[in-house]
Amino acid sequence: MKDLTHPLVWFYIPVTLTWICFCISVGNPAKFIDYDWLWLLFRSMSPYFWSALGVALAVGMSILGAAWGIFITGSSLVGAAIRVPRITSKNLISVIFCEATAIYGVIVAIILQTKIEYVQPVDGVWDRYAMLSGYAIFGSGVTCGFANLVCGMCVGIVGSSCALSDAQNSTLFVKILVVEIFGSALGLFGVIIGIIMSGAVTWSGAK
Amino acid sequence: MDHYRSLLQEGASSNQDTAPFFGFIGAAAALVFSCMGAAYGTAKSGVGIASMGVMRPELVMKSIVPVVMAGVLGIYGLIIAVIISTGVNPASYKLYDGFAHLASGLSCGLAGLAAGMAIGIVGDAGVRANAQQPKLFVGMILILIFAEALALYGLIVGIILSSKAGQSAAPAPAH
Repeated sequence: MKDLTHPLVWFYIPVTLTWICFCISVGNPAKFIDYDWLWLLFRSMSPYFWSALGVALAVGMSILGAAWGIFITGSSLVGAAIRVPRITSKNLISVIFCEATAIYGVIVAIILQTKIEYVQPVDGVWDRYAMLSGYAIFGSGVTCGFANLVCGMCVGIVGSSCALSDAQNSTLFVKILVVEIFGSALGLFGVIIGIIMSGAVTWSGAK
Repeated sequence: MDHYRSLLQEGASSNQDTAPFFGFIGAAAALVFSCMGAAYGTAKSGVGIASMGVMRPELVMKSIVPVVMAGVLGIYGLIIAVIISTGVNPASYKLYDGFAHLASGLSCGLAGLAAGMAIGIVGDAGVRANAQQPKLFVGMILILIFAEALALYGLIVGIILSSKAGQSAAPAPAH
């Protein structure tokens, strides 16, 4: 651990401690951690919570990844272009690759939100198909969002190196671009799995 | 929550309705963690290739090997994620199937993450060293293959686990 500003201290440990305190404090006071109450909480969560969260994560995380990649690439690009202004127009391709991950997220989010339909719960209990559909949209959004997050970061880092090496030797641009293309395939994998999972959505009985 | 409390006490079969959550999270974990490993491998090796390519541009195309091997990790995650997400059967999906799919996805995904980190660090150091000493190329490839094998182990275990997921309807073995 480098020092006390490490993310481990300021994010992961507080989140873990909050979760543990939550588990201990809810439910039957006689039990230390009331697992039955926690399971009932999980069981009674509406499928529309999961669906909405899935759509939000699909677009939000993809755009976070794209933004991260763009700032990594962009800062290196403008820094290197002080001495070598010719690299600017060619290396905007790296910025466009990062932007593409945001577009993938928007596409998947729009597709997912068209799949949300309202069904009535019977006696306060949702149908098993409704629960499955809620979980499917959540899984789809998580997959697409986080895959595009890491893809955007990867393409950004490689794009930054591409700009810097292009500034030194202009024959390197196309060769490093090949590495960026491998990186941008990862976002496509997320979109593919997101679309496959969203095909399992069926809000009221099997097709 | 009270409706669900009475269902839990009755032991109703609808208590298994949360099983698809674990199945889909398994598929998501397979892809997301493998992509994290692939992204780390691609980025770290890519930086090494770009830095090395400034001095030795003719070696760049040969040094793309770590990037390709990192990309293959994403393919492994894709395979398991497709197997899981097409295996979630809405009609009869018990908690047994859900947990099997979760385990399958996590095993493939986390193994891919680990392999990607290894491939990235070895690829970065390897391409930089290869630029200075060309005899190291074969050694770098051997180390990368060992790192790739880790993800393959995760893929094998993931396939075995996800094949158990259809068996909750099978009759219990006679003792």
